[in-house]
Amino acid sequence: MPDETILLGAVAYDAKVVPIWEGIRDHFREQNVAMDFCLFSNYERQVESLLAGHIDVAWNTPLAHVRIRKRTEGTSLSLGMRDSDRDFKARLIVRKDAGIKKLKDLEGKILAVGSRDSTQARILPLHFLKKEGVDLGRVKQLAFDTDLGKHGDTGTSELDVLKALNEGKAQAGTLGDLIWVLEQAAGRIDTKKLDSFWTTPGFDHCMFDALPTLSNAKAEGFKKALFAMKYDNPKHRRLLDLEGLKQWMPPREEGYASLTAALDDQKYW
Amino acid sequence: MPNASIAINAGPLPLGGGLLALLRPALDALEVGGVLALLSSNAAARDDLPTWCKVEKHEYLGCEKVADADRHLIARGGFNLPRGEREHGLRLPLRDGKLMAADVLATIPHAATADPATGLAPRGARVEPGGPEYPFTLNERDRVAPPDVAQLYDQAVAAQWNAQTDIAWAKIKPLPRALETAVGQLMTFLAENELSALYLPSKFIARIHPAYVEVGMFLSTQLMDESRHIDVFLKRARANGGGLGVSSATTSASLHSLLMLEDFTEAAFLLSVLGEGTFLDLLRFIEDHAPDEPTADLVRRARADETRHVHFGMSHVRHALATDPSLYGRLENAVRKRAATLHNAGGVPAAVQDSLTVLAARGTGPAGIARGHDKFAELLHVMHENRVKRLITAGFTPEQSQTLSDLHTPNFM
Repeated sequence: MPDETILLGAVAYDAKVVPIWEGIRDHFREQNVAMDFCLFSNYERQVESLLAGHIDVAWNTPLAHVRIRKRTEGTSLSLGMRDSDRDFKARLIVRKDAGIKKLKDLEGKILAVGSRDSTQARILPLHFLKKEGVDLGRVKQLAFDTDLGKHGDTGTSELDVLKALNEGKAQAGTLGDLIWVLEQAAGRIDTKKLDSFWTTPGFDHCMFDALPTLSNAKAEGFKKALFAMKYDNPKHRRLLDLEGLKQWMPPREEGYASLTAALDDQKYW
Repeated sequence: MPNASIAINAGPLPLGGGLLALLRPALDALEVGGVLALLSSNAAARDDLPTWCKVEKHEYLGCEKVADADRHLIARGGFNLPRGEREHGLRLPLRDGKLMAADVLATIPHAATADPATGLAPRGARVEPGGPEYPFTLNERDRVAPPDVAQLYDQAVAAQWNAQTDIAWAKIKPLPRALETAVGQLMTFLAENELSALYLPSKFIARIHPAYVEVGMFLSTQLMDESRHIDVFLKRARANGGGLGVSSATTSASLHSLLMLEDFTEAAFLLSVLGEGTFLDLLRFIEDHAPDEPTADLVRRARADETRHVHFGMSHVRHALATDPSLYGRLENAVRKRAATLHNAGGVPAAVQDSLTVLAARGTGPAGIARGHDKFAELLHVMHENRVKRLITAGFTPEQSQTLSDLHTPNFM
């Protein structure tokens, strides 16, 4: 008898990951879908484990997702994403006293950027700035390579970028749209000092990935239980709040095209 | 673009620099789907608002240029919607310049049941969904909140007195030693029993759902009353050359059986109706035979407070019995169970009995003691008669009332 339990991999980027997946596992059980999870310390190991067939489903960052797509030549299964994963954007935040009037003004300035494996704080904002004509060779990058392997999940490098901007160690910085708005909504941004100068085009974020060999029963069971989570249910809401979404959504691939192009250009596969 | 039902002007304010303080309350005032127009001259808001709306599940409908500003349109989303009716335009009536809890209750009445997931939200507040369940166990109006609880609270607030200054302590004069010793013993007994009336209600307060907050508020006045009584009784015992007397094993066993109660209605019945009810007669007896005016005054004041507690207990039990007749059996059972626990406890604690006799005798002369003894016997009779009356008023039959009164603890409380 094959094991009917869906084994899901997730990266332990924070202590809350344990209660999140224990809670979701319990919810799956209530839906009569057997699921268990194992935690990785980094996405590289999780990607290799999915490809090797050690796990059934991987909860992947966009970087891990496009790597799975490439390694499986586009045959991998995408099972679902968060509402908050769609149309993610990155921001260019500037100090108001830096005199930046147009994107070209970044040349000669210090640009704080997040971890080199963070899609929103480094890979895509640099990609889009280059497409806008900014000569990145003439921009001094102040890089915060924190929590490598976590692909920017911890948000630490984005907060580092904000801190550097606040302290005047950089004149501009790149970070995800979500951190910028959430930090503002929480009243933690000095809007007299900092301003959002430019916003990248949209791109998509995390995805549940599986190999094409995943059994239909497991794939359908996974989707059935996942989409049964509702924000109005207090038990679900606790988990959804922790995981940062209000609704699970079906997958879509078009939101990863810019990341694929960026990785080709930056040779960061 | 759709028409907006509210328009606000945020000028140049950035999202994190004041704009949200205008936008969030304005959206809260809308029904789900209602549209708000936000006039803003902040350029970053063009990108910040759609993202913020996405996070908060409002619908960002778009933006159009109006003179030097942007006119953003936002439809209120349905996530995180607080439950309950919006309170609006309430004006409590003034009564001689006072606002009364009874009017608050009349305006926002108690619902029949309360939801533990509304937590500590005050009754009438709109509650966001998703809060945890609180461990309240008293979530039904008819089990916890008699209809006149707010009036009783208002009365209690108005009737508070001061144990430091309201008793004419300076008027206490030296007494014969036996009489002062009797006073000290009685004050010891009263304080010990009042401690049970402090402890027992306090353990239920945190179990009462805040939807019935007036019950917690009333019980808090009761706790303050008991504290003040304990204070004055202990002060009286030590004010005039005497001191505390004995705490008897009978009293201890009786009060222990009260403190072990886990049901609020049983506690109200045994403590307030039977115990504090019986204490009214005891306090009246001590007042009638007090050797000086300050002692008479302090037990008189305590009795006035206790009358309110008895009233609450009676009202609670009567209301609960009227809505749940099966409660008769349970309350009778609680009295029988307690009597069985106490069946070896003996009669009225000897030191209390002797002190009441000496107090009524006003000394130790044999003739006076004979009178005092008769007065004591009469007191027990009066206590029984009044207990029966209270039980009948609470809704028990005369036969049940006789039986329950006979089973009541010899400790009075």
